[in-house]
Amino acid sequence: MTRREKILAYVKSQAGVNTQGLTTLAISEALGIIRSNVSKELNALVRENILQKSTGRPVRYLLAGTKTQSTTQNNTEKSVALHANKRKNFTVQEQQEKAAASMDETDFFETMIGRNDSLKNQVEQAKAAILYPPHGLNVLITGPTGSGKTYFANAMYQFAWGKNVLSQEGMTVFNCADYAHNPQLLMSQLFGYTKGAFTGANEDKDGLIQQADGGMLFLDEVHRLPPEGQEMIFYFMDHGTYNKLGESGKKHYADVRLVCATTEDPESSLLQTFVRRIPIMIQMPAFKERTMRERVAMMKRLLTIEANRIHRNIRLNEDVVQALIGSVTYGNVGQLKSNIQLVCAQGFLGNINNETEIKLDFDTMPTNIKDGLPRLASNRDEQSKLTKLLEPTMVIQPDNLTTAPADRDNYELPYNLYEVIGEKAQVLQDEGLDQAAINNFIMTDINVHLKSFYKNAKFDRTEKSFNEIIDQDIVDITNEIGAFLKEERYDVGENYLYGMSLHISSFIKRVQSGKPLRRVANNIISMVNDYPREFELAKKIKEMLEEHYQMPVPDSELYYLAILLASLKAEPETGKVGIVVAAHGDSTASSMVHVVRQLLSADNLESFDMALEMDPQTALHGIARKVKRVDRGNGVLLMVDMGSLGTFNNKLEELTGAFVKTIDMVTTAMVLEAARKSSLIDSDLDLIYHELTDFNGYSRPVVNEDQDNVSVGVGDSRQRAIVALCATGQGTAQKIKEILDGILVDHLIDDVVVIPISVVEMDKTLEDLKRNYHIIATTGITRPQIPVPFISLEDLLQGGGEKFIDMIEKMGDERKNDNVPVNLESSENLTEQKAQQYLAQYFTFINPKKLIGVLWNYCDYIAERVDFEFTNALRISVVMHLAGAIERYLTNSPITASDKEIESVRSEQLYQIIFQANELLETTLNLKLSEEEIYYIVKLFDTEVVK
Amino acid sequence: MKVIDMEVRLLRVDSRLLHGQVATNWAKVLKVDRILVVSDQVARDNIRKTLIRQASPPGIKVHVIPLMKMLRIYFDPRFNDFKALILVENPRDAQILVENGIQVKLVNVGALSFNSSRQMVTDSISVDQKDVEAFTWLHDQGVKLDIRKVSGDSSKDLWKVLTEKGLVKRGPNNIHA
Repeated sequence: MTRREKILAYVKSQAGVNTQGLTTLAISEALGIIRSNVSKELNALVRENILQKSTGRPVRYLLAGTKTQSTTQNNTEKSVALHANKRKNFTVQEQQEKAAASMDETDFFETMIGRNDSLKNQVEQAKAAILYPPHGLNVLITGPTGSGKTYFANAMYQFAWGKNVLSQEGMTVFNCADYAHNPQLLMSQLFGYTKGAFTGANEDKDGLIQQADGGMLFLDEVHRLPPEGQEMIFYFMDHGTYNKLGESGKKHYADVRLVCATTEDPESSLLQTFVRRIPIMIQMPAFKERTMRERVAMMKRLLTIEANRIHRNIRLNEDVVQALIGSVTYGNVGQLKSNIQLVCAQGFLGNINNETEIKLDFDTMPTNIKDGLPRLASNRDEQSKLTKLLEPTMVIQPDNLTTAPADRDNYELPYNLYEVIGEKAQVLQDEGLDQAAINNFIMTDINVHLKSFYKNAKFDRTEKSFNEIIDQDIVDITNEIGAFLKEERYDVGENYLYGMSLHISSFIKRVQSGKPLRRVANNIISMVNDYPREFELAKKIKEMLEEHYQMPVPDSELYYLAILLASLKAEPETGKVGIVVAAHGDSTASSMVHVVRQLLSADNLESFDMALEMDPQTALHGIARKVKRVDRGNGVLLMVDMGSLGTFNNKLEELTGAFVKTIDMVTTAMVLEAARKSSLIDSDLDLIYHELTDFNGYSRPVVNEDQDNVSVGVGDSRQRAIVALCATGQGTAQKIKEILDGILVDHLIDDVVVIPISVVEMDKTLEDLKRNYHIIATTGITRPQIPVPFISLEDLLQGGGEKFIDMIEKMGDERKNDNVPVNLESSENLTEQKAQQYLAQYFTFINPKKLIGVLWNYCDYIAERVDFEFTNALRISVVMHLAGAIERYLTNSPITASDKEIESVRSEQLYQIIFQANELLETTLNLKLSEEEIYYIVKLFDTEVVK
Repeated sequence: MKVIDMEVRLLRVDSRLLHGQVATNWAKVLKVDRILVVSDQVARDNIRKTLIRQASPPGIKVHVIPLMKMLRIYFDPRFNDFKALILVENPRDAQILVENGIQVKLVNVGALSFNSSRQMVTDSISVDQKDVEAFTWLHDQGVKLDIRKVSGDSSKDLWKVLTEKGLVKRGPNNIHA
């Protein structure tokens, strides 16, 4: 039995006896487990919604869902009393009567797919949050992009309105990302402002919070709310009052139910003080985590919405269904919806003269959707589940009931696509075009529309950072050129949008600034001779640019465009060697794989986390599933940490029929190296295996020649360099350099240079560079064949740059060989020993041996009374600070803090706790810490908690 | 035109570096955006590095770097935008930084912890012969030696204290001519 299970079992056993719940101390004494550990486990159980805790002090824990008469009553009275002056005073009975009266109205959640299965808990949580007296509870919905957070929030609103708990109709929606670049504007939208609060504030204005009074406010992408905004919101949650910008007192009152949503991990993206004030966390599952039945049901419902729009039946075969379901990758239901809209538009166009039915045809579907079929088929389990649910042919009929969920859905097109298609087809027909030409024309149009729309809606972060660099106008022309290339069946890879638009952008800027045009060197001309096709396409692109910008484009540009196209050309997908990383621990393997995926955008690797208590047989089969998933016929490299995992090799080959080679003592650097090697064309399993067994990390220079030509620094080193590639070495690559330089400076890395180079004679340039530089990574429009990590342009511009540099920083640390990770959190002995050692080192007038116990108890006392995690690192900080405070007392050298500062912390909950803890010190040591000292102690914790 | 180097808003000597809440008070008052903890020893000590990073106030980045790196980035124009608080463990390190060109008018001295080879000169500052030499050198360069725990304290002149204790012979202001 784990510690956690023991504790949970005890709480359960006491549930009948002790209806008030149990304190940490009681559990600690009963089970003989150290208090801080009990507290840690209890908090984890609360986070998992297995336990709940009371709001009073000391905190009591009881099973989630139990509502003992006394505690509920107490809490309610307390909160009612708290708000009595300012809020309408609902009593519990009133609230219940109100709810009962509306019980027979339609329950909006009843129609939600998954309400009895994947979303069962979520729906119950939502209902509880809405009906909880007196004002409901604030909610945070988390979940990946497109998983239906907005949809769910709408459902909550509908439910709440149906239950008459709102006094104002309509949900107020605010997307924090819309103003994320301008925090001031964001806050003024939310809270309103007074006349003169800032330039341009010519009159008083109410914010959305006031508008939502009596109703519900949905804050989407709440992680984009700046910290001061979060603070204002949580003050508002606590007190129901707020101030407008430009006011000092919190004198406005509003009664608002808050529903927040974020795609990010709230632990790391939101202030902990904010998260702590949201009692209900609803996690939306990813599409892949939904049951197959639900996925099919969602697809059917989305198709019905489209059928209603076109007033025709939609007929589709099994393979189309499989492709649609398999086509969903990172974008979840939202992506499914966009894909369905696309194929329906296509089907509508293909059957435009059929008044009763449209048929969705597998063969004509776009490749990215077709790819869904093999993707799904690669997972036998999933596929067989799906096939069981399907008929060979499915007909979806309009029901005139199912409509798109309320407005403001990010995935809803702002216009009626089908009308647009109909009109356009009519116009083209009148002009005498044949059907094939019309279809072609309109399909391109639809693709461009849906794609740009989809991008705008969902990847706002990408687009934002992208738009900071590139004008929309350039994105448009780039898309136009992309459509043309597609027509010409010239396949460009995922880097196209970024590579091409950056190229055009720098070209235009060059022309506009009147700089001399690039001269074409002979080597470029000879290189282009190898690419006649690209050269022809470049001519056409040149014409398009000339027409778009109404200015002549010099012929020299043709060569650069041709090289750009050749670099961007999509690599043919060869059967890559698959990689499975398996390691002990809850997230060791997955976090390694996560890092590598982000850096290399690799799709041929999977992770398997082996919890310590998992038996080897389960692990074996789990790993076998992963091996099957990544096997493309060229074998699979299994990378493990240690122990029983190393012995699986042969059994895995038997189970999966794939060739498997195992490497142990896996590190992130090794996985990165394996992924990189496997992504190069012509690499096979044996080769990768042998190269990796010799691999010692990126710390050693890969090329050992020219050691005498050492430039700067110490020891080995040539200066470390990142190489950025673009067609000319002056446009995009220069941009990349600017971006990376910024990040490098921010991370205080001064010994890495970014070198922009041209793809023309790239191999030779790289060879030259290696003489003077140790190339540690590459980035840009194409990946050179040298054995260092590569980050694609797309990832870089989507914010991957930070992670890239982080990785490089780590590699640098590994080089220094001193990066043995410290884990204070795993050892209390280590912590106490360290703390004592530091006390001895830094303090003069205290006896560390005698004092450490007292300070340790002090921490325990506080740890028990606060609801944030009291890490060992924090413990050391507190011990050190207190020792300082005690020494200041002993030497009679008081610290200063202003009255205003001291006053500012008096109302904090922590102040009371610290005050009491100090009384303990007073009894044991006979010394009393001043108000000033308390101020600094509170601040110490604040610093901690805010993080 | 003179190149403007990184802006060092305070150079503070404190053997506890960023432990405790006191240094973060300075960082806030001085509105710095970086705290640079400069120490060859700590840069090699992962536990202390972890603890120091942990103690950083929100919104301010903390870096633990060796002396050489501090000097490199100080003169590297790419880092000119930094508004930094530099923390060093002992006066000798402060001297090295100033000796090599980091411009400050004042060195703030927090706590220097005691051991048997040292002598207490105030309730929180103890010195040994090497420290005295470093302080003397700094004083000779016209750098004011300021004793304050937090910004709100009234400033005491360390040089005066050292003189009163007979640890140094020159008067407090003899080189300001």
